[in-house]
Amino acid sequence: MKPPSEDHDLIRWLDGEMNATEHAAFETRLKTDPALANEAQVLRALSVGIRSHLPADMTVPHADFFNSQIQVRIGQLEIDNERAQATAAPGDLLRWLRQPWLTAAGAVALAVLGLVLLRPIAETSANSFILSSYTPKIGVQAHAFHDEAADATVLMLDGLDAIPADRKVSGIHVKHSETEPQLAATTLYDVAGGRLLMISRDATGLPLIWSNSPRG
Amino acid sequence: MPAAAAPDPGEVPDIDLVKRAQTGDTRAFDTLVTRYRGRIYAMTYHLIQNDTEAWDLAQEAFIKAWRALPNFKHDAGFYTWLYRIAHNVSYDWLRKKKTQGDGEFDDERTEHRIAVGAEATPKGDPAPDTAMRNAELGQRIQTAIANLSTDHRQVIILREVEGLAYEEIAALVPCSLGTVMSRLFYARKKLQEQLKDVYETTL
Amino acid sequence: MKFLLTSITLLSLCVTLRAQETPAVKPATDGRVWGALIFATNDAAQLTGGREQPPPNLPKLNERLGKVFPFKHFEILGQHQQDIFREFESWVVPSQDLFLKIDSKGPADQGGVNLHLQVWREQQVLVKSDAVLRAGSPLFIGGPAWKSGRLIFVLSLDRK
Repeated sequence: MKPPSEDHDLIRWLDGEMNATEHAAFETRLKTDPALANEAQVLRALSVGIRSHLPADMTVPHADFFNSQIQVRIGQLEIDNERAQATAAPGDLLRWLRQPWLTAAGAVALAVLGLVLLRPIAETSANSFILSSYTPKIGVQAHAFHDEAADATVLMLDGLDAIPADRKVSGIHVKHSETEPQLAATTLYDVAGGRLLMISRDATGLPLIWSNSPRG
Repeated sequence: MPAAAAPDPGEVPDIDLVKRAQTGDTRAFDTLVTRYRGRIYAMTYHLIQNDTEAWDLAQEAFIKAWRALPNFKHDAGFYTWLYRIAHNVSYDWLRKKKTQGDGEFDDERTEHRIAVGAEATPKGDPAPDTAMRNAELGQRIQTAIANLSTDHRQVIILREVEGLAYEEIAALVPCSLGTVMSRLFYARKKLQEQLKDVYETTL
Repeated sequence: MKFLLTSITLLSLCVTLRAQETPAVKPATDGRVWGALIFATNDAAQLTGGREQPPPNLPKLNERLGKVFPFKHFEILGQHQQDIFREFESWVVPSQDLFLKIDSKGPADQGGVNLHLQVWREQQVLVKSDAVLRAGSPLFIGGPAWKSGRLIFVLSLDRK
C-alpha cells in the first residue's frame, strides 16, 4: 500500500499545486513508472470529465420568481424588524426597575407589567400568514389569503392534477411518532401503539414510506 | 477564493451595488442576485444533488447575505463572501438532513433510489450518437458524485467546479491541507471505480 | 465461593450494561402541530363514514372550512399530531396520499413559529412555502380534486 504522501504527490501534480522543482521531479518519475503514469492519465481524464459535465454556472429555474421571492422575504424581514423595535422596552424603565430600594416593589411591578404586556400581545396577536410560495410544477399556482369569516389563512393550490375517482384515498390516525436522527427516519404509531408506517428520505431527498398495510 | 467574473463595461461594479444595498436599496441587491444566482445555484445543486432543494438553499443564501450585509466590510470581494455563505448554508443543510448512511458508494441505496425514481428515469436504448453518449456520461458522472459522502463530494466540487486551491478549500471547509488532499484522492478513486468502464476504454 | 464469583460476575455485568445505557435525549422542539387530511364534497354518498374528530382547540372546523370551500360535507380522513423539531425535519402524515414536511425556522416575533412547509403528494412536491403559523389561526391548504370534491389539508399550531 502506498503511503499517503505518494497519493498526495499525484493529486498535487494533477491540480497544479507543486512548485517548479517538485513538478520537474514528478514528471521524471512519470517517465520511469508506467503504472504511475497510467494512474495519472486516468485521473486527469476523470478530472476533465467532471469539469466538462458539472458547470460552474447554471440557469436558475423560474429565475424571475426566484428574485421576486427574495424581494418578498426581504420586505417581510424589514417589517418584522420595525415591529421588534417598536415593542422593545425603554431603557429608562429598566434602569428604574434595577434600583435596590425597589426590589420588592420592582418584582410586583414587573409581574403587573408582564400581565399588561401579555394581554395586548394576545389580543393583537397576528394571524398566521404565508410569506412566499413556490410551486415546482408548471401550471400549478398558489395563492394565499386570510379569510376573516373562517378565521383561517388559506393557501389555495390551483391547477393540480385530480386524483382519479376510483383511487382509494385513505387516512391514518397518528397518535405519536419517534424520530431516529441518525437514520433520518420517523416511525408513526396509532392510538393503540401499533406501528403505522415509517418515513425517511432517499439519497436524492425524495420521501420513502414503508407501510405495514397495503394501500388501495 | 472563487473569483467573480469581471463586470461587463457599463455594468455597475459590485462594490457600488453592495454599498447601496447596505443603505437598504433592495433594487441594488436584486441586481446582485441576478448577477450571481446562476453560480450560487450551481454550487448548491452540485453539493446537494437535488434541484428543488438547491433552489431553496440558493434563495436562503441570498436572504442570509442580505441580513449580514451590515457586517460586510469590503475586505474581500462580494462574491467571495456570498459564496462562503452559500457553501455554509448547503453544508448545514446536508448535515441536518443526513441521508441514510451518509456513506460512500452504497449498492443498496443506489438500487433503491433507482427503483423509487423509476418513473422519472428515462428508459431508452443505448445512445446512438455522440451527443447522447455525452449526455449519458454526464448523468453517470453526476450520479457517481451523488454517491460520494458529503465530505468527499464537497472537496470535489470545490476543486473541480469552483477551481479553488487547496489552501482555499482548507479555509472554507475548514480542515487541514492534508485532509483536503486525502479526501480529494479518495474521492477521485471512488469516482474512478464507479466510472472505470468509461475511462479504461478511452485510454 | 462459586456463588460469590457468580454474584460478582452478575453484578459487574449489570453495572457495565447500566453504564452503557445512554439516556434518551429528546430533541428540542418549537411547538406542536395538528395536521389533517379532509375530504370535502357535496355528495354525502361519497363520504367514507369515518368518525375522526378535530381537536377541541379547533372549534367549528367544518363551519369554517365551509366559508372558504364551496362544499357541504367535510370528513376527516386522517389526522396526525406532531412535534416540530428545531434541528430536524418533521413529517405530518395523516395520509400517504398527501402529507407535509415541516422545517422550523424558530419562533416568530409576536408569537407563533416560522416554518418552511412542503406539501407532498407521494413522490412529488406540490408547493413549498415559508409561513408563520400562530395558535388559533389554522392554515387551510386547498389540494387536488378527488371524486366530485376536493382534498384539503388543515394545519394548526397547538397553544403552549
